[in-house]
Amino acid sequence: MEKKKIIEFKGIRKVFPGVVALKGFDLAIYEKEILGLVGENGAGKSTLMKIMTGNYQPDGGQFLLRGKPIVLGGSMEAIEHGIGMVFQEGSILPNLTVTENLFLCHEKEFSKGWFISESAMVAEARRALEENGLDINPTTLCGNLSPAQRQMVEITRLLWLSRLYRHENPVLILDEPTTVLLEKEIKTLFEILNRIKEYATVVLISHRLEEIIENSDRIVVLKDGDYVTEMLREKADIFKIEQLMVGRDMVEGYYRRNEQIDPTDSVVLEVKDLAIESILEPISFTLHKGEILALVGLIGSGKEELVKCLGGSMQATHGSIYRNGKKISIKQPKHAIAHAIGYIPIDRRVEGLATDLDIADNINMLVYKNLKVRGFIDKKKERDNATHWMGVVKVKATSHRMKCGNLSGGNQQKVVLGKWLSADAEILIVDHPTRGIDVGAKDEIYHHIRQLAKQGKSMIIMCDTLEEDIGLCNRMLILKDGKKVNEVSCPPDAKPAPTDIIESIV
Amino acid sequence: MKTKNSRRLENLFALRSKVSASIVGKLYHSIPISGQIISLGIVALIFSVGTNGQFLHISNIMTVLGLSAIPMILCLAVHQVIILGAMDLSLEGIVAITAVSAGLLLKNSVTANDVGLWIIPIVMLIGGLAGLVNGLLNTKLRMPSFISTLGMSWTLFGVAIMISKGSSIPLRDLRFQKVIISEFLGIPTVFILAILLGLVLYIMQNKTKLGKHMYAIGGNEILAKQAGVKVDRIKISIFGLTGMIYGLAGLLLVARLNSSAARYGNNLLFPAMTAVAVGGVSLSGGVGGALNAVIGTIIVVALNNGLVLMQINPYMQSAVNGIVLISAVALTIDRNKIGIIK
Repeated sequence: MEKKKIIEFKGIRKVFPGVVALKGFDLAIYEKEILGLVGENGAGKSTLMKIMTGNYQPDGGQFLLRGKPIVLGGSMEAIEHGIGMVFQEGSILPNLTVTENLFLCHEKEFSKGWFISESAMVAEARRALEENGLDINPTTLCGNLSPAQRQMVEITRLLWLSRLYRHENPVLILDEPTTVLLEKEIKTLFEILNRIKEYATVVLISHRLEEIIENSDRIVVLKDGDYVTEMLREKADIFKIEQLMVGRDMVEGYYRRNEQIDPTDSVVLEVKDLAIESILEPISFTLHKGEILALVGLIGSGKEELVKCLGGSMQATHGSIYRNGKKISIKQPKHAIAHAIGYIPIDRRVEGLATDLDIADNINMLVYKNLKVRGFIDKKKERDNATHWMGVVKVKATSHRMKCGNLSGGNQQKVVLGKWLSADAEILIVDHPTRGIDVGAKDEIYHHIRQLAKQGKSMIIMCDTLEEDIGLCNRMLILKDGKKVNEVSCPPDAKPAPTDIIESIV
Repeated sequence: MKTKNSRRLENLFALRSKVSASIVGKLYHSIPISGQIISLGIVALIFSVGTNGQFLHISNIMTVLGLSAIPMILCLAVHQVIILGAMDLSLEGIVAITAVSAGLLLKNSVTANDVGLWIIPIVMLIGGLAGLVNGLLNTKLRMPSFISTLGMSWTLFGVAIMISKGSSIPLRDLRFQKVIISEFLGIPTVFILAILLGLVLYIMQNKTKLGKHMYAIGGNEILAKQAGVKVDRIKISIFGLTGMIYGLAGLLLVARLNSSAARYGNNLLFPAMTAVAVGGVSLSGGVGGALNAVIGTIIVVALNNGLVLMQINPYMQSAVNGIVLISAVALTIDRNKIGIIK
């Protein structure tokens, strides 16, 4: 039987400054199906979701809902049209009860005059929860529920609302629903979603491919803002999807690969059996002078926590760190700085840069003690140090007194780099160096990373895409579920294929 | 793989369910202010021992209830804003301006005015307008309510001093004082008034849309907005309502003393805030309600009354109050919700 289309995109297009998020493709979503949407970061999944929930407006193409073109002004309007989204971070208020959360802003359905009938509300909540097969007490405070139960409450709310607005087949979008759940809860979630499928459409976004393949009726692969292919569950093959997700073959010379050098033999950092209870199992590795080491793994693999231990913002529970052969302890960021370990964080606007201060203040932040004359900070020395490093990393700015908040993403990243170079950092931990930076600036950052390696700096990198990791690094460590699963060497002339790597990541 | 946090949470749940499973636990959890009732019991116990039973004598209990009436009304006012997750420090200024206005508009010995009973809507209007300004500064100019209401307080206090020329205004209309000092079935009328106000606010908080949405805003303003709560409108109305109640309290103060001055507002903010915190209204917003405000005020007033009866050094009393405030906040504040404590 031919299924009816509930949502249809025709040549859908979305452009952001510097990047085309959706390149203009066609996609149909049917009634009563579970659709799995997969793709790497930046493939366009989230943009597409945000168009469906009215948070973004498409720049081109058509968005048809139940066969008619539609413009949605925001998530409330989307809900009124029977499209609801369960967000990764959740939208349940912890200080309200399940009932109050379910019917927030729709209390008037249960009102007599000015007053709300609590009992009618609780009864309806009980009915709605039961209808979806949930065993949750409607009078519990949501703060006392598990993350899984909260998600269920959110799903129930969306389904109830679409019923209120009289929609036959609501569309439920779930963004990475399983990241906060335990194994057992994931099973329950999919059982419930399969039941809901009887009268609704579910769109699933997840990084966990096995999960998607097992539970979706149909899988759509997106890549770089474009539709690649779709397949039915019966014909889905994890290996093929991986290949499609990664897509194009590697371009020669990309990531400044021709500038890659071989690291020296001297070990600058050695990690022995470092472990964090219930997050990271004992891991050991070395970092050589002039080496670029990539840490690869999904969210939850433990790589974020590992670098936080090296940067001093988190503490390992076991194991030791050796710097140039000597055992060191890093309890706070200042200890890392003292051992010439610099941390360039993922969110430079929050953690890496004081955006209200100017370039000079940021670059000099760690070295004021070197800029003093007779005990006081010297204006001239301040300026000289700042302009010197601005020149080295090529910050494009009118003066060293320009506020960092007014710089472009690429230039901000260069200022952070300048700060650590000025502080003589020997080891740099670079967390997503090119996140949110446009293509031209990316290449410059690659160039800087190569130059630094040439000067004998060692780096630990975590990149936006697997290709970037492979392209940049000399060697990569692959982590999965808190364990080191593989170590792959990436010489410039024999880079491994991303598809081989992905196998050990997922 | 279990993360550290999820395991910790599970332990917490296990502990909590153990406590709630016992009968005492069930009773404790079924009453929303059981913790505060126990505190009040402890205060009563200590002072009745310390004063040889004088503290629990019926006449002293009535004194405590009578004394707690006006602080209770003020606490009921300010706790509404705190439920929103905002702050209102304009209490003293609004009380000052409404007290002086009442003094000048009722039959008095300085002007020829006599508005009579019309004074009730008038003070509520003045207080309400001031509260409305508080709400507008917070929502439309997007100012932190902590600082904008502090500014309002000083502004209105200054205006009150100016129009009263810095002096007291004796009243000639004795009707209001009569009501204030009267008793109904042996209970001070003004206390009954405060309890009635508490009841109205309790119903509003629990039985109306406005009330439910107040708590949603206090829980998380952004999420509430996403769900369709009209955040600005509700915040402005609550600030306005709070101002109206301040106005009423200003009138009651004037009536009790049968004269009026700008300084009548002084030193009222601290007991109201202490009562909010002691009563268990979370300063981070979204938790607690009118019941908490009522019991909180009674605890604070009883505590002060007990200290006086035991003839404790007045400076020591002030220190005790400060410690009580800090301890109450330490116990009720939700540290997860505040990223950086400022």
